[in-house]
This record gives sequence, structure tokens and C-alpha cells, in this order.
Amino acid sequence: MTVYESDLPGVGKKHEIDLPDGTQLVVVTHNEGRREVFLRPAPDGDSEKLFELSDDLARQVGTILEGAYFQPVKSQNIETLLGGDTLLEWVSVDEGSPIVGQTLGESDLRAATGASVIAIERGENVIPSPGAETEIQPGDTLIVVGTRENCEDFESRVTGA
Amino acid sequence: MAAGLFELGQVFAVLAVAGAIALRIGLSVIPLYVIGGMLAGPFVAGQFGLPHVPDSELLTILAEVGIVLLLFFLGLEFSLDRLLAARSRITRAGIIDVTINLPLGIVIGLALGWSVVEALLLGGIVYISSSAIITKTLIDLGWIANDEADPILGTLVFEDLFIAVYLAIVTSLVLGGGTADVNGLGRSLAVAFGFLGALLLVVQYGTTFFSRILDVSDPESFVLRILGIVIPIAGFALSIGVSEAVAAFFVGMGFSTSGHRERIERQLTSVRDVFAAVFFFWIGVGTDPRLLVGVAVPLVAAVVLTTPAKMLSGYLGGRVYDLSEHRAIRVGIGLVPRGEFSLVIAALAAGGSTPVMRETIPALAVGYVLVMSVLGTLLMQRSEAVDRAIGRVLPVGSDA
Repeated sequence: MTVYESDLPGVGKKHEIDLPDGTQLVVVTHNEGRREVFLRPAPDGDSEKLFELSDDLARQVGTILEGAYFQPVKSQNIETLLGGDTLLEWVSVDEGSPIVGQTLGESDLRAATGASVIAIERGENVIPSPGAETEIQPGDTLIVVGTRENCEDFESRVTGA
Repeated sequence: MAAGLFELGQVFAVLAVAGAIALRIGLSVIPLYVIGGMLAGPFVAGQFGLPHVPDSELLTILAEVGIVLLLFFLGLEFSLDRLLAARSRITRAGIIDVTINLPLGIVIGLALGWSVVEALLLGGIVYISSSAIITKTLIDLGWIANDEADPILGTLVFEDLFIAVYLAIVTSLVLGGGTADVNGLGRSLAVAFGFLGALLLVVQYGTTFFSRILDVSDPESFVLRILGIVIPIAGFALSIGVSEAVAAFFVGMGFSTSGHRERIERQLTSVRDVFAAVFFFWIGVGTDPRLLVGVAVPLVAAVVLTTPAKMLSGYLGGRVYDLSEHRAIRVGIGLVPRGEFSLVIAALAAGGSTPVMRETIPALAVGYVLVMSVLGTLLMQRSEAVDRAIGRVLPVGSDA
């Protein structure tokens, strides 16, 4: 993440934050405390004003964004859309999962769901392209690729639900 | 006493109404304050036998405080470090700006058959853009978050420094050089630079002193201590023939490094705005609308010549900042408004010795600021249409 800071003589300061989707967030902090927040759709585009906050309100909102009031739990299901309907999904294997102790071949998950395990995160290590003989242990995170339907099916079999 | 208080009451009532109208129609307050002063003054309200505000000594002194505080804030915001940090770009854009617009004004003055000093005054009036109007419009239009804000505000910083040096010299020329006496002129320039040099040294080495003086939590004492320093120093400067505005600018620079800059801005902005409003009103009170008719020809010439010149210099300045052509055109449009500093120069000219300085230049400056403040704001609000119109006339490129 890149944040650019520049002076606005007679006005205050400007911070520009690059967002992952190629847009930029622009925060203008006025000397008298007011904050104006803009979104710039493209680097050479015009900024559109989103909202304006007083000094007090900006600090309040800032602490909420920072997570001082509420920390979201780390999500159980992280997924990345690869394009089309294909997902990359991280599925955790709990102690009570029906597939614990089985090898990938025994679990027969690929034939049953259509989703394949492309890697296993085990503690600090990652097992890339695990073979059919790889045994699934509690605490593993299986990295799975497939359609959304495949992945949902896969996940429900792993949790045993 | 009673009459004086009533007159002052009229001043503030008219200013309040003018400010409300400006808010309603989305224009800068400056032209409306000036027009308010003109209407409430001796030349309009007085002519019709209505109760009017005379051009009294009280009003003049309050307006003078307005000039001092305007320049004090300029010094407060001015940072030599900032100018040096971005010096290549700010300086290049600023030099383009001054080498196009100042000589143009001087040439117009000479073409009108004026003396060199008179022409130099006109050069300053048409050169200096209005920080107040431009900054406010940048915020209103949201340009402040765009790339064009950097060259616009950078150019204003350069103009601020230039105007401090300019006022120091021109004040000596106008106040000390009324006679064609070279010795007298040399003496007044020496006094000016001696005093301002000494003040600059105090400012440079007095940071701890300024910090200690302002280290008080009571807001009332804080405001009074600042006014108690800046106004006496400016007044003393004027009493020895040195620009009070430049003295105030230097004191502002001194306070800017004291660590109290933001607090000063927070607590004194409204004080400055009140006195600045009285200054604009006073300018209006001293302006006879009939004189505006008399300067109509040079006024039209100045507007027609200096508007495209400023747009060109601003455009080139924007290109120095590597902006696209369309965005650089916006920089040019954004620097068109003229305002408070042109009027400060006009007020200085009014203290001069020739009829041109006393009457023609102030009237021309008032007419010029009325036109340019409104025209500049309108051009900024309709920048898309201006850009398209320029594209039709000139072969503007396709890199945006």
C-alpha cells in the first residue's frame, strides 16, 4: 500500500492512498480540522467527494476503522475468485472432521465433489501438489480449486455437516 | 461618538448582507464587500442624501489592520523550507508566472503614458492572483483533491514571496520617491531594507522567544499577545515609511516556526476575516463609481489582455508539473481570480503623489478586481466549457 502525503499551503494536508482496484482514496485535512474524503476513479481522473467529517467525528470514525471497538474474527472461509466461476478456497480441517486420518485417495473427495486439493497448509509448512497417499491431519488447511458449487460441496463434506 | 458607532454599525450590517448574497449566488465575498462599501459610501448613498458611511479615519485604521492581518497570515503560511523542498517545480512555475504577467501590466501602464513607478504598480495589480478567492474556490469545486491543486497553490506560494519583496520596494518608491530626488529615494530604500533586514534577523533567531510568548492556554491572552506584537511592529514600520504589509508578513514568518502556527490559524482566522472585510468595504467607500466609467478603456484592455496571459502562464506552470493538457488548462483558469493583494497595492498607490496614483490606479484596480474576481470564479465553475472552447480555437493535444 502506498500513501502519498503533500502540503496544501493555506489549506492543510493531502493524503492519497492507492486502493487495490486501481482507484485512489484522497483525504484532505483542513487546517481547522475538517476532513474531506474523495475517491479518484483513475490516477488522472477527477476526484469525487464522498463525505466530510468534523475533527471530532473523523477521530471517532478513525478508531472504528482501526478496529478499536470491534475486531472482526479471522474468517473460516477465505476464497479468491480466479475468474469465471472458478474459486480458490481455503478449508480448515477440525479435529472432529470425518476425513481426519484418511489419505486424500481414501477420502475420495475429488471424485465426490469435483474440487481438487492443490496444496495443504500444515503449521508453518505448505505441501504443494499433495499426492493421493498424503494423510489429512487435524489442523490442516486444504487449499482447494473448483467451481463455487464444487467448493461448497467439498467444504460440507470436510466439516461433516 | 454616537454617530461613529452608528456608522460602524452600518458597515457591519452592509457586510453581513453582502456576505449573505455571496453565499446565495456562490460567488466570492470580496467583490460583494467592495460593492457594499461603494453603495453605502458617500458616492452613492451620500449622493441620494441617505445615511451613509463616510471615509473616516476610524474606518481607514480598521482597514489598515485588515491589510496587516492578511499579510501576517500570508507570512504564517509561508514556509521557506516548502519553497526550497519543491524548488525546481514551484520556482519554475512561479518564474513563468511572473515573467509573463508582471511585464504585461507594466507595458499596459507605459502604453497609457504613465511613469515607470505608476506602470510598476499596475504590473503588480494584474500579476498577483487572489489566494483567498482561489483557495476557497478550489475547496468548493473539489479541485483541492486533484493534481491541479499542487501547481496552483505552488504558484501562489511563489507569488507570496515575490509580493513581499515587491511591496518593500514599491512602498519606498511611492512614499519616498514622490520627488524625482535620487538621494531621497536611495535613503528610503536603505531605511526599508535596513528595517526589514533587522526584522528578518529577529524573526530568524527569535523562534524560542516567540514560542515562549505564545505559551499560554488562555485563548484571550493568546489572541491579544499576537495582535499586541504584529500591529505595533507594522505601525512602526509605516511610521518610518516602510511597508507595514511586509513587516506583518515577516512577523507571520517568525510565528510560523514557533510551533503555534495551527493554533494561531484556528483562533485568529475569524479576527482576520472581520478586519479584511472592513478593508474591502473601505476600498468600496473610497471608490466613486463615476471614476470607474472614466477608466473603462484601460480596464477593458487590462481584462482582455491579462486574462489569457494568466491562463497561458498557468497552463505552462501546469505542464512543469507534468500534468495533462486538460488539467494544465485548469491550472491556468484557476489562477485568473485577482483580489485582496491587487487591492492592497491599490491602497498603497492611493497614498502616492501623482493624480494617476491617487485616482486612476485605485479606480482601475477596483474595477479590475470586481471583474476578475467574478470572471475568475465563473471560469473555474465552468472549466469544462472553457476547455472545450479553447480546444476549438487552439489545437489542444490528445494526451488526456
